[in-house]
Amino acid sequence: MIRLDNIEVSFGDFTAIPHLDLHVRPGEFFTLLGPSGCGKTTALRTLAGFIQPSKGTVSVDGKDVTRLPSDKRQVGMVFQNYALFPSMSVWENIAFGLRVRKEKPADSDHMVRDIARRVELSDEQLAKNVAELSGGQQQRVAVARALVLRPKILLLDEPLSNLDAKLRHQLRQQLKDLQSQFGITTVYVTHDQDEALAMSDRVAVFNKGVVEQVGTPQEIYDRSATEFVCNFIGDSSALTPEFVADLNRRSGAGLSTDASSYLRVEKASLHPDTDGGNAVGLPGTVVSRTYHGLHSRYVVRSHGSDIRLLVREDGGPQPEPGSDATVYLRPEHILQYHPATGRALEREDQAVPLP
Amino acid sequence: MSGTPVRSMARSPFVLVVGVVLTWFIAAFLVWPNVNILMATFFPDGSFSGRAAEKLFSSQRAMKALGNSFLLAVALSITVNLVGIFIVLVTHYFRIRGSRILFLGYASTFIYGGIVLAAGYKFIYGDKGIVTSLLVKVFPGLDPGWFSGFFAVLVVMTFATTTNHMLFVANALKGIDYQTVEAARNLGGSTWTILRRIVLPMLKPTLFAVTILSFLTGLGALSAPQVLGGRDFQTITPMILTFTNSPTSRDLAALLAVILGVATILMLAVMSRLEKGGTYFSVSKVSSALQKQQITSPVANAVVHTLAYLLFAVYTLPVLLIVLYSFADGAAIQTGQLSLGSLTLENYARVLTQQSGLRPFIVSVVYSALAALIAVGGLLFVARLLQKYRNWVSTAFEYLLHIPWILPSALLALGLIISYDHPNPMVGGAVLTGTTVILLIAFVTVKIPFTLRMLKASFASVNSSLEEAAAIMGAKTLYVFRRILLPLVLPAAAAITALNFNSLLDDYDTAIFLAHPLVQPLGLVIKANTDGAEGTEGIANTFVYTVLLMVITGITMYLVYGRSRGKGPGKKRLPAVPPPAAVPGPALGGDMMSDGDAGKAAAPVR
Repeated sequence: MIRLDNIEVSFGDFTAIPHLDLHVRPGEFFTLLGPSGCGKTTALRTLAGFIQPSKGTVSVDGKDVTRLPSDKRQVGMVFQNYALFPSMSVWENIAFGLRVRKEKPADSDHMVRDIARRVELSDEQLAKNVAELSGGQQQRVAVARALVLRPKILLLDEPLSNLDAKLRHQLRQQLKDLQSQFGITTVYVTHDQDEALAMSDRVAVFNKGVVEQVGTPQEIYDRSATEFVCNFIGDSSALTPEFVADLNRRSGAGLSTDASSYLRVEKASLHPDTDGGNAVGLPGTVVSRTYHGLHSRYVVRSHGSDIRLLVREDGGPQPEPGSDATVYLRPEHILQYHPATGRALEREDQAVPLP
Repeated sequence: MSGTPVRSMARSPFVLVVGVVLTWFIAAFLVWPNVNILMATFFPDGSFSGRAAEKLFSSQRAMKALGNSFLLAVALSITVNLVGIFIVLVTHYFRIRGSRILFLGYASTFIYGGIVLAAGYKFIYGDKGIVTSLLVKVFPGLDPGWFSGFFAVLVVMTFATTTNHMLFVANALKGIDYQTVEAARNLGGSTWTILRRIVLPMLKPTLFAVTILSFLTGLGALSAPQVLGGRDFQTITPMILTFTNSPTSRDLAALLAVILGVATILMLAVMSRLEKGGTYFSVSKVSSALQKQQITSPVANAVVHTLAYLLFAVYTLPVLLIVLYSFADGAAIQTGQLSLGSLTLENYARVLTQQSGLRPFIVSVVYSALAALIAVGGLLFVARLLQKYRNWVSTAFEYLLHIPWILPSALLALGLIISYDHPNPMVGGAVLTGTTVILLIAFVTVKIPFTLRMLKASFASVNSSLEEAAAIMGAKTLYVFRRILLPLVLPAAAAITALNFNSLLDDYDTAIFLAHPLVQPLGLVIKANTDGAEGTEGIANTFVYTVLLMVITGITMYLVYGRSRGKGPGKKRLPAVPPPAAVPGPALGGDMMSDGDAGKAAAPVR
């Protein structure tokens, strides 16, 4: 559906994206995720036609659109702040593209009302000025304005970033529902990993203009391909070589002690597995406990590693700071990366045949 | 902001002292003179009389002047918008080669306006002007007086008043969220469609405002019609001036001034009404900076470039010629023929060393400096109190202090003349008309609204916790003011003083009514020189004055605004003065009554 091949983007001396290959499948909700300044917005704007790449090709539906202006690419865009035209009413905003295309007024009106109904904007709201709408309604106007031209692709540039937390959660769902309702191929840019995991079919994690990993939310979370992805997504504790060595000794797992090793917070526990799994217990001391209502966050020090973990506040006994505790974990949950390249060590490399 | 009860405000001795002084000043110099004019016009002998109106309507000259003023106002509103919008787009919106140089050319009116500009155009395009002399040699049939009358006045005032566009419209343009432009492009809008349907509508409130400012500038025009209007094109304000000078027709002058005042108030009311309606500004919190637009059609691009550079020539030619001819000898100025040998420093030496040359300059500097200092010094206290206390008393004071903003300077000046030409108890029984003090009072008065707004804004920008922290540690009102607030607003106060000083330096509109015959400021001398009274030497002196004024104004503008400008986006430096039009849409322009330098120091801040 969308292919970015060998794309390079430079601004003067600064190379924002050195080399980028991406392939977005039809109907997919595809997210570009990364910290600010990582090149994700640049990639999106290259796709939209606002930035001309210095190398490489952009193709949509098998057609090379690299040299086409934005409005000839059949991409609709929802901007970070929606970019609604403040001097126009809601109806005029949505009809803008149709009027530019010189559609017949009657057809335009029909199409505007049709799309408005599908994004749940009432006739009364169509007559309003955009400033009179709530954040959620503004978002729907922005989506309607983009979709009324029947683009092949919908681009969303951090459309939730300037909203408060509660509204953001609400609109996230709304946006996802709209996308699946229209079934349109969508490329979404965000720096919010939670948003990316919850909404996407697939995610590309960006760092310094380079894609570190492309995969489903679960893949990038559970099998982070690089140390950067592991750190950027979710929350994990760094493990010392001593800790890994002790783990190897107790479990017989042949984990590398030279690699950078991490353990996700939810994969460590203060209680042994109840289902008879192969969790191994390592001795440690409770350093701190922070109460969060639903759960408490613990830091337990073991072999020089500060292991962070969550304990459900279900009324059971909770150890206090200073007391001894045992940290239970499964060796296969350890994420290991090459200390120089940052690449994940292959599972096969770690696996040592059991005696 | 929550209101403060009037009673608690009146308990502070600081407030009381400032309040008494302020009440006296407002009553004596802002309210009484204008009430007095109304009385002189309609109640000359204590009972209502329509005689002044009858006289006016039967005076053909006066009626013609009225008509001319409105014609000029309407025409100017159109031409200034055409030129103003074009230069703003060329310097800020479109990608034009050399736009920074173009900007400097168009911005030349920032340092050069009013009577100085009118005089400059006359010396260059007038009947004995440098360019005219050259043109006559090439086209012997050319009428030497080609540059006069309505056409000349309109041209000069058009180029003199685009400053408002450069300030306000350019600022509004910079405030547009670029994402809306990109969104429009993504939806298929062409350069022209985006400009017409997205960008210009967002500038609408600002354009309304500058249109009204232009209208008022045209209506109250004084120096341009006087210098270039010739016999056939006279307008209201010069007529007021003529009538003022003969005691028998003062009632006519007063009535004309009242008409001018009413028209001004009406226009300003319309403007503030328009400002309130509609949302034109971005509804979003995050916006991205405007990027320049390439004009895609090569033909349109070439046309726009050509026009831009032609206008650049129109703007810069007078400045260049004045600078050049300020070094030329009398013969060169008379004939327009310039050779390297005729360039000397003699004119500068004469102006700066001879009594007659230097005196007007010094008079202007002293008047402007005194007025600027008094206005800022006095209003520091007032602005602080108005910013701190919010109730009907402070609101009333604030409105009253804006009187000079809504009334033409001719009306104010005339009010002062007829109120204080006999011993008046308001000022301790003194006669002020004909003294050197009355012009100072007028200068201070004229600068009050601008100064007040700017000072209030800078007080408002001080973090109120600082004050509360000092108060909690036991500091008294005056101590907090002196040790905490004053040091923080002082840079802004200094900048405002400098801007006030600048705009008063070449004042003509107020001085022509009120100046002492023996203590003539620069504006009057320059005007006298345009009449040819002092011959070539007078013209040469005017060129030197103009260059000196441009240097002084240029330096001040640079110190106040320039250093923070042009360092690219994202600069975090706190400007000493809130940038002009930091608020959506310009409020009432500063000294919009003085044609030419309207808006020079008129950064409105609410």
